[in-house]
Parts: sequence; C-alpha cells; structure tokens
Amino acid sequence: MPLVRRDADDNLPGEERRENQRDRAGLLEQLQDPRPAARRRAAREIAGDATAMDAICNALEIETDAGSRHAMLTALLVTGGERAKARLLQLLRSEDAGLRNGAIEVLQGMPGLAGEYMDGLLSDPDSDVRIFAVNILESLRHQRVPEWLQQVLQNDDHVNVCAAAVDVLTEAGGPECLPALEALPQRFPDEPFVDFAVRTAVRRIQGPGGSHGQ
Amino acid sequence: MGSELRDGVASPGLSGEDFARFREFYYRKTGNWFDEAKRYYVDKRVLARMGITGCDSFREYFVRLRFDADGSELQALINSMTVNETYFFREEYQFQCLVRSMLPEIAGRKRPGDTIRIWSLPCSSGEEVYSLAFYLLEYWPQVDDYDVELIGSDIDTAALDRAREGIYDRRPVHALPEAVLRRYFRRLPDGRHQVLESIRDSVRLTRVNLQDPLETRAYRGFDVVFCRNLLIYFDDAARRRAAETLFDALKPGGYICLGHSEFMSRISSLFRPARFPEAIVYQKPEEADQ
Amino acid sequence: MTRVLVVDDAQTVRLYHRELLEQDGFQVEEAVNGLEALERLAGTTYDLLLVDVNMPRMDGYTLVRHVRENSSDPGVPVIMVTTEGAATDREQALSAGANLHVVKPVQPEALLLQVRLMSGALS
Repeated sequence: MPLVRRDADDNLPGEERRENQRDRAGLLEQLQDPRPAARRRAAREIAGDATAMDAICNALEIETDAGSRHAMLTALLVTGGERAKARLLQLLRSEDAGLRNGAIEVLQGMPGLAGEYMDGLLSDPDSDVRIFAVNILESLRHQRVPEWLQQVLQNDDHVNVCAAAVDVLTEAGGPECLPALEALPQRFPDEPFVDFAVRTAVRRIQGPGGSHGQ
Repeated sequence: MGSELRDGVASPGLSGEDFARFREFYYRKTGNWFDEAKRYYVDKRVLARMGITGCDSFREYFVRLRFDADGSELQALINSMTVNETYFFREEYQFQCLVRSMLPEIAGRKRPGDTIRIWSLPCSSGEEVYSLAFYLLEYWPQVDDYDVELIGSDIDTAALDRAREGIYDRRPVHALPEAVLRRYFRRLPDGRHQVLESIRDSVRLTRVNLQDPLETRAYRGFDVVFCRNLLIYFDDAARRRAAETLFDALKPGGYICLGHSEFMSRISSLFRPARFPEAIVYQKPEEADQ
Repeated sequence: MTRVLVVDDAQTVRLYHRELLEQDGFQVEEAVNGLEALERLAGTTYDLLLVDVNMPRMDGYTLVRHVRENSSDPGVPVIMVTTEGAATDREQALSAGANLHVVKPVQPEALLLQVRLMSGALS
C-alpha cells in the first residue's frame, strides 16, 4: 500500500509525545544547550516570559545558528516590554549585520515602545544608528512617522541618514512633506543621488500630473 | 467619482505611481507580490475598501492603511484580496514539481520501504490533500516503493468534517482530468462527487493551530509541506512563529511550497530558495540540526 | 548583454542604480534583500552583483558568503556598498568575499567605471 495512515494516538501523526513543558529554570538552561534545535525550542517555549528577556538577549548575542537566532528574536517580539526593548536598542550597535537587522525587524513591530525612544535614536551621535532609526520608522505604525522623517530632512547633517528618510517618504510621505523634500538637494548639492531620490519621492507623493498639473 | 475627477485621474483605478506605492507596501507587509497582470484585481479591491472606509482618495486611504495603530484595515484589505477559491489540482505546477523534482530527490536520500511524510495545511475541505493523493498515485512512478503518509491539518473543525466526508459539487472538481475523476470519485445520486473511501481512509486529517507551539510540537519529520496562501493572514509576529513551526516540522533538506504569489524572502530568513524546472520552493538547510 | 543584480532594500537606491546602469547599456534586475537575491540566483546568473549591507531578512555579508560557498556561480564579481568608510566595514565586506567595497552615496561616474571593469563589459 503506497499511501499509509498511522493513527498512533489521538492527535499526533505517528510521533511519540515529547517531554512535558519544562519549567522556567529548565528552559533557561536549555538556551545554552549545545544543540541548536534545543536552543530554538527553548526560545519558542519561553516566549511571553518578560523576566527571561535578559537571558534570551545574552544567548542571542553569542548565537551562531540562524534558526535559533530567529526564534530568540521572535521571543523578544512577542514578549515585548521595557527590558526587551532596551536590549534590542543596544543590538543596533552590534558589529554583526545580521543581528543589527534582526533587531530592526523586531523593533519595527513594537510601535509604542520604539516610538518612545525615537527622538533619542534620531539624535544619536552615530550616523549608522540614526539610519537604523529611520529604517525602523519604515514599518512603524505610528502617527508621528512623517513628522520624524521631516525633522531628519531638515536637521540631520549626514547625507545617508537623509537619503534613508527620503526613501521611506517615497512610500509613507504625504503632501505635507513636500517642502522639506524639495529643499533637501540644496543641502547636498554635490550628491546626484539625493537629487534623484527626492525627485522620485516627490513624483510618488504628487501622483499623476503632480501638484502643478491639471 | 467626484474624487477621481478632483485628482485628475481619467480611469477609475489607481494611478501608476499609486499602484507602485501600494504594491511595495503590501509586499513588505505580507510577502505577496502583485504583478502588472493583477492590476485590475488590486484596483477593484482597494477602491472597494476606500468606499467602505469612506476615504475619498487613494492618498487618504493609504495613510489610514499604513498608520492605523491596530492594523485592522490592513487585515480587512488582506481578507478582501485573498478570497481563496480552493479546487482540485489548483496551481498544478507545484504538484508537478513534487513528483518530477522534489520527491525524486527526497527518495534519493531514502531506501525503498522508508516513509515519506507530506503535510498539507491549511487543508480546509480537503481539496489539496486529496489532490496530493491522486497526484502521487497517478504521476509518481516510485509511489509503490515507499510508504507515503499524507496529513492534512486545519484549525477549522467544520472544514475538517467536510474534508472527511469528501463530497464535492461540480466546481471544485472542474480542473481534474476526466480519468482522475472517474478513478478516485464515485458519483452520488444527486450529481455530486465523493472521494473514494479507500483514499479518504489513507489520508490523516487533524485539527491544529499553527500558532500554538504546544499543539504543533509533535508535527515533526515531514519531507514536504504545502502551506499555500496562509501566512498572508498573519501579522509579523504570528508569521515569524508560523515559519518557525514549519521549520521545526520539516526534516533538514525538506521542502515547503507557498502560494503562487507568496515569496519567503519577505516572510522569513529560515529557509533557502530551491529552484526546480517547475517552480521555486523553499528548503530547510541540510545542515539545520533537528 | 551584461547583466547586473542590484540588491538593496531602499527602492530609491535600486531605481538610481537601475537608471544609471541601463543608460550605460547594462541589463539590470533588482532584489530587496539577500534572500530575494538568492531566489534570483537560483535560476540564473549575473555578470556582477551590486550589494547593500544592511537589509532585512538577510544582510549583504551573509548573502555574499552564501554566494561564495553554496551557489552555482561562486565566482561572480561582487561590489558591496556600505554607509560608512569605516575600516571594519571594508574588512567585513572583503572577508565575506566581496571583490570591492564602495561607500554611499555612490558617485555615478566612479561606480559606472568599476561596474564596467568588474563585469567584463569592457573586455
């Protein structure tokens, strides 16, 4: 018989039942397990426990397995809270590009929390951190997003931070952003890319015909 | 109509720039990409949502869609974009990919008599999981050399009951070759078609919530998972968790098939693309440790 | 025709590189992150990859390591584009397997010259 059906028990396909849900201490220990699958499972099962955020972040910072890293970041996202957010913000400064970008993805899903810290991030002395802040804004559901982006266009001295803001406004901007956009090329007259990006954003925002059309 | 005239738009749809803006956003949020051919389809649904939400212009609607704090409008829009018609042999190229490319490769790692395990979820009223059964029996010459386990799962018990019954009217069977219809169904007096008992008995149907790690923890060791047009319904966190569940469910080297316009590259970093002549599918890396 | 894959999550950057390179006779395709680049690379080959570093789902360094270690065309020339000229970026780009590292915002003439040279379009 080529097609076989195994009804080993009520709800599981031919699989022995695994150990019962572990206690918290056991799960914390399992975050250090040498087997990536065990670490992954521990991270998935500890999600929701706000007191485990530091343990997860400590494990995350040394995690090399992509699947376990994914699960640890997910645990931070679904748990949220001050501690998770604070540690995620630190990760924006990591030398590891994968970790930085993972942190950005998670922070994008924390509108209330990330919003609170946005003013600080956007005035960070490190221009890369300011770029990451703009990247977070790209997916952040928050009413102040256009306002923050306009501030960047008007005040940030770093061309790449401004360019990142223009890129987000290409999708998220409204007519109220046009003056700040149109003024930007004058701030960076030697950068052909800025001029191009601004024209693209303005065209998207104005739509067909533009504000001067029909 | 008034708003379209005000905006200077000649046709009652989204402008090219609006469409470009919308599609980038939707792709990033859902992993679903609309090509130009879908333009009319997208226009119609966006315009309908604009009407329902009382937005006079695309711009106004887009602001609402993008910034509304609970994401409810995005969810409503997704629901209207994905009225899922399910029928036998839907997106048949993926079944062809299964029997011509994926299964030969999987079988190459196994010995005759070994089990090959395939998961269909959400299986809804059974069309996909039974399609898999027919396809394997009809078109995979090595089917007799292995024990193939087919498992269909859904969160909706009413749908599962319909799947167990296996009775369909004309519409869901319209794409089936006549020979397949005759071989695997019996015709009921009222004209409907019922999947033969021998097939129904060989497929396992279970209720499962993909979002619950405790419920899904025993779903392991699958060689192939069909998970088409489901992930789009989840928000970011739920989608990440679902991807992890599917990752855990697969054997290293196992494959996952998504819907026609779904791209894993926007959904999760866990899987690697694998391109076969028939389709792009996604693979759990060989080296991933179970 | 010489084919270039532009990998960047910023759509204005992708459009800019596309226009710049198409005007110079290149054929350009785009990917929004490392994974989408792998999706494209699974089905075809390119004469050059122009790759950003910071992208969601899969960053540029990870992409280049994958290309070098697991792809069907491990020798494809790669130019990485980073936001800062810091030594660590350059070091990371080159050790991941990039052939060249340039700093944003790119200067169009200089970039075109490098793309022509490395893609073999001049030969």
